[in-house]
Amino acid sequence: MIAGKLKQASDIISRYGIFIAFIVLCILLSLATPHFLTGQNLLIILRQVSVNGILAIGVTFVIITGGIDLSLGSVVALTGVVAAGFAHPGTYPLIVPLLIGLFTGVVVGLINGLVITLGRVAPFIVTLGMMTIARGLALVWSDGRPVSNLSPAFNFIGGGDWLYIPVPILLFMLVIVVSYILLNNTTIGRYIYAVGGNEQAAKASGIRVNAVKLFAYIICGGLAALAGIVLASRITTGQPNAGIAYELDAIAAVVIGGTSLMGGRGTVTGTVVGVLIIGVINNGLDLLNVSSYYQQIIKGVIIIGAVLLDRRNAK
Amino acid sequence: MNIRFNRIIFLVCSSILITSCHQQTKSNGEKLPVIGASMLSLQSEFVVNVKDAMEARAKEKNVELIVNDAQRTAEKQVQQIETFISQKVDAIILNPCEVEASSPAIAKAKAAGIPIINVNSETSATPDGFVGSRDEQAGEIAMEQIAKLLSGKGNIVMIDGYMGQAAQIKRAIGAKNILAKYPDIKVLAEQTAEWDRAKAMSLMENWIQSYGNKINAVFAHNDEMGMGALQALEQAKLKDKVIVVSIDAIADALQAVKDGRLDATVFQDAKGQGAGAVDMALQLVKKQPVDNKEVFIPFQLVTKENVDGFMKK
Repeated sequence: MIAGKLKQASDIISRYGIFIAFIVLCILLSLATPHFLTGQNLLIILRQVSVNGILAIGVTFVIITGGIDLSLGSVVALTGVVAAGFAHPGTYPLIVPLLIGLFTGVVVGLINGLVITLGRVAPFIVTLGMMTIARGLALVWSDGRPVSNLSPAFNFIGGGDWLYIPVPILLFMLVIVVSYILLNNTTIGRYIYAVGGNEQAAKASGIRVNAVKLFAYIICGGLAALAGIVLASRITTGQPNAGIAYELDAIAAVVIGGTSLMGGRGTVTGTVVGVLIIGVINNGLDLLNVSSYYQQIIKGVIIIGAVLLDRRNAK
Repeated sequence: MNIRFNRIIFLVCSSILITSCHQQTKSNGEKLPVIGASMLSLQSEFVVNVKDAMEARAKEKNVELIVNDAQRTAEKQVQQIETFISQKVDAIILNPCEVEASSPAIAKAKAAGIPIINVNSETSATPDGFVGSRDEQAGEIAMEQIAKLLSGKGNIVMIDGYMGQAAQIKRAIGAKNILAKYPDIKVLAEQTAEWDRAKAMSLMENWIQSYGNKINAVFAHNDEMGMGALQALEQAKLKDKVIVVSIDAIADALQAVKDGRLDATVFQDAKGQGAGAVDMALQLVKKQPVDNKEVFIPFQLVTKENVDGFMKK
């Protein structure tokens, strides 16, 4: 009887380990500072995590197929400066910078995917190369300087509110919903898990593995572009050196969220919780005015701790 | 194996070809003096401005200028200086990555008998000349302006540059020199945002949550971070109650000062530094006497009253 109950409890912990870790973290922070658990602060946390959240969901697709994308941060910079270049007031309507920015990200994703599938080069290498290529292109495009003087319409994407909710949060939520449906309720979603779980078996059962992988990298590039546009709009400039090491925060969020770096396992909801954990840590440590040296140590410990808790329970 | 070896040979040959072509086309006609420059990072707007000023002055004076990007790596910088030495350039301009780690470059150039001068920041080894600014002064000017606007009393927060870099350390020292004179100005919090606008914006948003109306002024080590803090304050509708002062006078910040959003910035003269460095290097090449081996180009406070003069520069 008691053993059964214990088993039940440990099942719950193992299924929801990362959620529990997140809630514990929130409780600790709200005890530590009265400024944490306020509606306004929670809204601010959501706005601050939107860019990393959009990136992390994009790379979730790639990681589930067993790949990785290290070019995210550079793509953020590249798409940000490219979009900003078409967003000066009185030049083009808003749709132009948005489409060109997204298109740029999709092309980068397409190239990553093509070299990985047709060229049979390891994703780590291809996207590492793309990381410096995209950064270089961002610097060439912008001549090494921030692209500023952007139209109010463009700046609305990162800085505006719609129905009292900041636009980046709305975009983040839209990405969550669409990605959730895509991964859970569509054929291509099932194929993505199948390819990551066992590529040979997927191939044998008639799945076009290369096409599925290509799809994942294109989604990832497109979402990185969306993140780049949101960031450029939020800081009202396209910065060629924006987004340095953003891929690491995104990948950390995905891993915290229980997605396996080996592929085949992972969820959008897990990634969202991972993103929130990182965001809450950043916000909470600032609220508590913890020295920036210690912040880095604490962040690392919490990231490893959260994953450790998850792994121990998932055994 | 063989194919791989051939490829390497091909790569080496083609890169040699490319570099030698590059030199030939530039040094045609009479022999121009050649200056090699190793810059801290051509991803930094300020350094790019210094580089542009150097190129403009080099063109004006009919000098060939080779510019290398050290990408914030002292080791790479030392290698670049070694390459300049083997290329037998006539003078070297060093925009140091680090105080200590870039110093071997100075020793090597001196040993090879090539004049070397530092632009913008210092190294522990003494070069043949220096053209730059004292970063402490920037911190002092900015904080003095904050103290003046606060009438010597209030609460401030400070957003630091990347911890451990010379500019961050010296700007913080300058600010603290002034704070020592104003015991009624309290520092509520000090944190780094790594020179980054997005990071500073998040930091300021978080501080607004924890300190709210208590913050009277913000000092940011550079304009990017100042602009980030400014945007966070504007979004929280607090800007009219909080003073923001930062350093560098980048285009965005000057526009913000003109629009009355940013209270002040501090101008660092990229043109003066770049042109001054080329001038001094040329004097050393021509063995002309240099009256002043350490040229300090002063920082200047930029407020709404005088901003127009800086926007043309």
